[in-house]
Amino acid sequence: MTKQDNHAARAEIMARVRQRLAPVTAADADVRKAQAEEAIRAVARGPQPRMTGDLVERLLRKLEEMSCTTDRVARLNEVPRAVARYLAANSLGLSAVTSPPLASLEWENAGVSVAVRGAADADLVGLTDCFCAIAETGTLMLHSAPDLPPTLSLLPETHVAVVPLERIVPTMEEAFARFRAQFSDMPPAVNFISGPSRTADIEQTIVLGAHGPCRVHVVLVG
Amino acid sequence: MRSQAMFFQEQAAQKACDPQMQKTLAYVRPLFVGKRKKGLEGLAADGLGFEEMRVACQEIRDRVVDNLDVWLELFEARAQATGAKVLWARDGDEVARLLVDLARQHGVRKVVKSKSMLSEEADLNTAFAAAGIESIETDLGEYIIQLAGETPSHIIAPAVHKTKEEVADLFVAHHGLPRQSDITALAREARGVLRQHFLSADMGVSGANFLVAETGSAALVTNEGNGRMVTTLPRLHVVIAGIEKIIPNLQDLATLMRLLPRSATGQSISNYVSVLTARGGLALDSPVQGPEKIVFVLVDNGRADLLGGEFASMLRCIRCGACMNHCPVYTAIGGHAYGWVYPGPMGSVLTPLYTSLKTAQDLPQATTGCNQCGAVCPVGIPLPELMRALRRRTFEEGLRPWLERLGYKVWAWAACHPRFYHWGVRRAVRYLKWLAGGEAFIRVLGMAPGWTGGRDLKAPPGRSFQELWADRKNRG
Repeated sequence: MTKQDNHAARAEIMARVRQRLAPVTAADADVRKAQAEEAIRAVARGPQPRMTGDLVERLLRKLEEMSCTTDRVARLNEVPRAVARYLAANSLGLSAVTSPPLASLEWENAGVSVAVRGAADADLVGLTDCFCAIAETGTLMLHSAPDLPPTLSLLPETHVAVVPLERIVPTMEEAFARFRAQFSDMPPAVNFISGPSRTADIEQTIVLGAHGPCRVHVVLVG
Repeated sequence: MRSQAMFFQEQAAQKACDPQMQKTLAYVRPLFVGKRKKGLEGLAADGLGFEEMRVACQEIRDRVVDNLDVWLELFEARAQATGAKVLWARDGDEVARLLVDLARQHGVRKVVKSKSMLSEEADLNTAFAAAGIESIETDLGEYIIQLAGETPSHIIAPAVHKTKEEVADLFVAHHGLPRQSDITALAREARGVLRQHFLSADMGVSGANFLVAETGSAALVTNEGNGRMVTTLPRLHVVIAGIEKIIPNLQDLATLMRLLPRSATGQSISNYVSVLTARGGLALDSPVQGPEKIVFVLVDNGRADLLGGEFASMLRCIRCGACMNHCPVYTAIGGHAYGWVYPGPMGSVLTPLYTSLKTAQDLPQATTGCNQCGAVCPVGIPLPELMRALRRRTFEEGLRPWLERLGYKVWAWAACHPRFYHWGVRRAVRYLKWLAGGEAFIRVLGMAPGWTGGRDLKAPPGRSFQELWADRKNRG
């Protein structure tokens, strides 16, 4: 393939699209393009769920419906002991990989050895914070960044996520709105994670732990 | 993938009599329907009705499809601004050629793929194999059928026709590990084998559930996590997507995500929704994990020809599979009989339009007209109407057998001449009564024996409805 060839493919496809649309589009392309750009900028929300009750309770309930396990501590410095308890109770070993936002906690005192790096195949536990947690569906929103390797929530069998209460939002729309307010560019990956990975591809029977984590444990803080 | 839709009648007849296929379909039919129903109940619990959501989703898709020229330019410009490369492919062969070239340019030896129906249109695995490049399907269902050398029978559950015993046989033959008998152990074994492929692949190929114009990103919806592996670990990520897949912005993604998983599997949200964007201003040696490069391949393969015409609404399709899950024809014969990439009602519309009406003309005939598909479609595609339009086109193009065409002509003339019509009906019901010979049922219909091949026809009373009605009125 040369560059020239692909220009020809583009030109041919665009010409066909324009030709088919010509009889049904009234305004000229510049006007319609301005309208399209306006539609992008408008960030209008579709129908919104009418959720009643406490967002924290809703999040906890939905996380459990998504086959996550949950825990709650009052302060961030209590997280290492809570994580140690969870790992010990499930015989998951006491070592984990994590990223800078959580690395400064007192892991050693809690008996957990943490490495600060992206996850490798052999790592058993990945420890992350999250950009926010969505109460509507029990979903964690994580984004990749130089100090937030996406493999932490992907390769290890166990993913432990730490969610401060102020990071809880009602909907995905609200999560995107917060994201826009904080960042001007999209990172390589924004991942919405709802429970452990799963498959139903053999006889429509659900198995947890397909390619990603088999367990997702969420520790709420606050 | 070369269409085998011309063998639909033979294939359908064979699948309808295949005990294994019938057992599987009987098992999954209530699951498919029940899961969606439960998913929509969850939506209703949050005060959101299906109709309200469907209108919103349809509007999002129409906004783009009705002005696709400008949205394509917008998406292309914004994707390029993030550093992504955008290529275009007129047909499936061109997709395969572009991807093989990309693999060669980047010295790729192993490709991992997440599920993409478009890659089936392009017969991508065959092209990679011919070029000596190993390509591995990583969605568990797709992996199973790749090992079996088959094609998907469902767009969401590709291996729905396989039993766990068949999967165990395949794994023993290909993995050389001891035979596993339960489903969890089989899934576990596949995890271990595929994990090594994810870690050693040089290129990941994914489809896109949506292309987000606002950010120049691909949105990918998966449950297994293979989509994340394929788009995170290899150094090159190639997204292949139909030109109609664009949505305006991230809020629209949030809206569509309320209906897509519920329509497909009944889930309130899929396990992973990933928004993937090229690295923009980040330096190549930046420590951020992810592919060094993203290439989008925007594919026509028949889509542009649907714009502006009576089938344009088909371009709204978000590939959820609800139409086939609720179709009495699909759930009687399974997906393979349809003979190409897309089965069920959406396939009965797409296959004739994307391949050829002549070879796929039997597909839009295979409908009961019950409109279950239209009723569950999350983007309001009037599937029965589109199938009817294709049947009309088949007739107009003279593709049906001459006897059938003549029959319709005679019927149309008779239906416009009531006196002749009623005379004919009176003769016909007397003939049928005579044919029954005093029995309650006609076992072999003289002029159309095929019709009574699998069922009996109830014998009519010997007089037409009009005659009986007139009698009753006279007596009354």
